[in-house]
Amino acid sequence: MQTDPKANVARRDVGGMVTAAVFILVAVIALWDTTRMVDSDSFVFPRTVAIAMIAFCVLLIAWNLIRPESGNGGVPAPGASTVRRVCLVAAMLVSTALMPWLGFIASGLMAFLSIMVIAMYDPWTRFRKLVYPLVCTAFVVGFYFLFAELLLVPLPVGSLFE
Amino acid sequence: MPGIEYLLEALTLTNIMLALGGVIAGTIIGSLPGLTATMAVAVLVPITFSMPPASALILMGAIYTGAIYGGAYAAILLNTPGTPSAIATTFDGFPMAKRGDGDLAVTLACLASVTGGLVGAAFLLGLAPPLAEVALAFGPVEYFWLAIFGLTLISALSEGNLLKGLIGACFGLLLSSIGVAEISADVRFTFGSQVLLGGIETVSALIGLYCIPVLIDLVATPDRHLKVTHQPKGFRLLESLRISWKYKFNLIRSSVIGTLVGILPGAGGSIAGLVAYSEARRASKRTEHFGTGEPEGVQATESANNATVGGGFIPTLVLGIPGTPPDAVILGALLIQGVRTGPNLFTQEGSIVYTFIYGLFLATVLMLPTGLVIGRYAYKTIVTVPKAMLVPTVAFMTIIGTYSIRNSISDVIIMITLGVIGWVLNRMGYSPSPIVLGLILGRIAEQGFVQAWTIGAATEELFSMFFGRPISLAIIAFIGLSLFYPLIRARWIGRRRKVSAD
Repeated sequence: MQTDPKANVARRDVGGMVTAAVFILVAVIALWDTTRMVDSDSFVFPRTVAIAMIAFCVLLIAWNLIRPESGNGGVPAPGASTVRRVCLVAAMLVSTALMPWLGFIASGLMAFLSIMVIAMYDPWTRFRKLVYPLVCTAFVVGFYFLFAELLLVPLPVGSLFE
Repeated sequence: MPGIEYLLEALTLTNIMLALGGVIAGTIIGSLPGLTATMAVAVLVPITFSMPPASALILMGAIYTGAIYGGAYAAILLNTPGTPSAIATTFDGFPMAKRGDGDLAVTLACLASVTGGLVGAAFLLGLAPPLAEVALAFGPVEYFWLAIFGLTLISALSEGNLLKGLIGACFGLLLSSIGVAEISADVRFTFGSQVLLGGIETVSALIGLYCIPVLIDLVATPDRHLKVTHQPKGFRLLESLRISWKYKFNLIRSSVIGTLVGILPGAGGSIAGLVAYSEARRASKRTEHFGTGEPEGVQATESANNATVGGGFIPTLVLGIPGTPPDAVILGALLIQGVRTGPNLFTQEGSIVYTFIYGLFLATVLMLPTGLVIGRYAYKTIVTVPKAMLVPTVAFMTIIGTYSIRNSISDVIIMITLGVIGWVLNRMGYSPSPIVLGLILGRIAEQGFVQAWTIGAATEELFSMFFGRPISLAIIAFIGLSLFYPLIRARWIGRRRKVSAD
C-alpha cells in the first residue's frame, strides 16, 4: 500500500525541524567565534558542544524526513490571546528598560499596573478600580523597602529624579 | 556520642527563638524567585556578629535550611525554582499542582525537607571527620563525571524526544560558556557586547526559562492558574505521611545522596537534587510517571537538597573548605567571630560545634510546623488570588528578584529574552529542563574537563586520568546504569512476561 506523500508532509514536525535549523546556525556562529581563540582551554569545550549540537540537529531533521511524525510541542489553548502575550512581554521589557531613568518605584508601578490591565478578564467594577491600584502601590512600595532598606539592594533611583 | 549538656545548651529559649526566626525568615526569602539561600544568609550575617558563636551558627544554619526548603513553594506552585536547589522539584511538583494536588505536593516537600535535613545533621553529628576525607578525594575529573551524571537526566526530561533534549542540553552548555572563560580568561561569545561579559547568570536564566513561559500562557486565557479539584482540606498531612512511609527508602536514599553531594565543595543543592531525582527515577517501579506529577520525584529532590545543609557543613567545619556557597558565607562569619575551623574544632571547640549541630536538628524539626503553615498559606494565596493580581505580582517579583542578584538591569532583559525563547522552544517541542541542566552543569563539566585534560596531558596519563581513578569509575558505572537501566528493565520485564505466558 502506498502512502500519500501530502499526508506525510502534513504530519512532519515542521516547527521542530525549523528550530533545529536555527540551532545549526547558532552552532555555526559559535564555531566561527571559537576560531579567534588562541588558548585550547577556551575552545575545546564549546567547539565540541557546537559540533555535537550540529550532529543532533542534522539527525533530527533527517529522522523527520525519513520517518515523519508529529511534533510534541505544546498545543495552544483554544481562544488564547496572542495580543495579551505580546503586550505582557512588551510591558516587562519597556518598564525594565526605563528603570535607569524613571527609577525603581515609578517603573515598577508602570509594570505592575500595565500587566494588571493586560491580565484582567473580569469587568472593572468600582471596587476593583479602587482597590487593585491601591494594592499594587502598596506591593511595589513594600517591596522597595524590603529590598532597598532591609536587604540593602541598591535599587535605581532614576536619573530624572536625581 | 557528644554529651547531653550540649543538647541542653541548644535548647535555651534564646536559641529556640533564633532557630524559629531563622527558619521563618529563610523560608520566606527562599520562596521569592531570585533570592537564594546564599543571599538570605549573607544579608542576615551582620546581626550575628554580636552573638555567641554557637547561637550565631544556629541562626545562620536555620536561615540556610529554611531558605533551601522555601525554594520548593515557587517551584511547585509557579513552576519557578525559588532557589537553584529546587530545580528538580519543578519536574513533578508543578504537574502535581496543575492537576489539583499542589497542597499535597507542598506538604510532601515539607516532610521530605525535614527528613533530609535530619539525615544531613545526623551525618554531621556522627561521621563528620571521616566523611570530610571524601571531599579531598574528589578531583577535577570526578567533578566532570559528576556533571555528566547529572546530564544523563536529559533522557528523563526530554518528554518523548531524546534528540530534542540533547539539542536543548547543547544549547544550555553553549549558553554556560558565554563570557570570560574560567580557566583561560578568554572572552567568549560576547560579540563585543559589554552586557554579556559577565556571562548568563544561572538564577536569572532559571527564572526566565521556567517562569516567563508560565506568565505568557497565564495571561493569554481567562482560565485559573491551578486546577482545584477539591475544597482545601487542611494540610493533607495524613495522606502525605502515608506516601512518605510508602516511599521511605526513596527518602532515605535521596537524603544520603544529598549529604554526600553536599560534602563535595562547589556541588551544592541543585546537583544533589538532580542526582537524587535521577536515582529515584531509576529505582522506582513507576519510572514512566516521573515528570508527570510523581510524588517520589518531589520527595527525592526536596530531601536531597535539604540534606546538603548538614553535608555542606562537614568540610566547612572539619577542613575549612566550604561545601556549598552559603557555607562560604557562614565560614567567613565564623572567622570574624574568632572560631578557627579545622580537624581540631570538634575536640577543642566542642561546646560550639555540638551545640550548633543540636541547634540544626532543632531548626529542622521547627521547619515542620512553620513549613506546613507557610506552605498552606502560599497555596491558598496562589489558588485564590485573581489572575489580574497574580500575574503582575509574579512578573514584578521576577524583575526585582533577577535585578537583585547582580544589581543589573541587563540581567533582567536577558531573563525576559530567555523566557520568550523558552516559550517559543516549548511550542516547538523543546523542553526547558535540558537547557537549564546544560546551563548549570556546563561550568562544572568544562572546568573539570579542562583541568583534568591539562593535568593528564602534562603527566602523559590522559586515559588513566579520565578512566583510571576508582571514584571516576564508580560514577561512570552509575552513568551507564542511569542510561541503560530503563532498557535492561524493559527487556527483563518483557522476558518475564514471555516466560509467564508460556
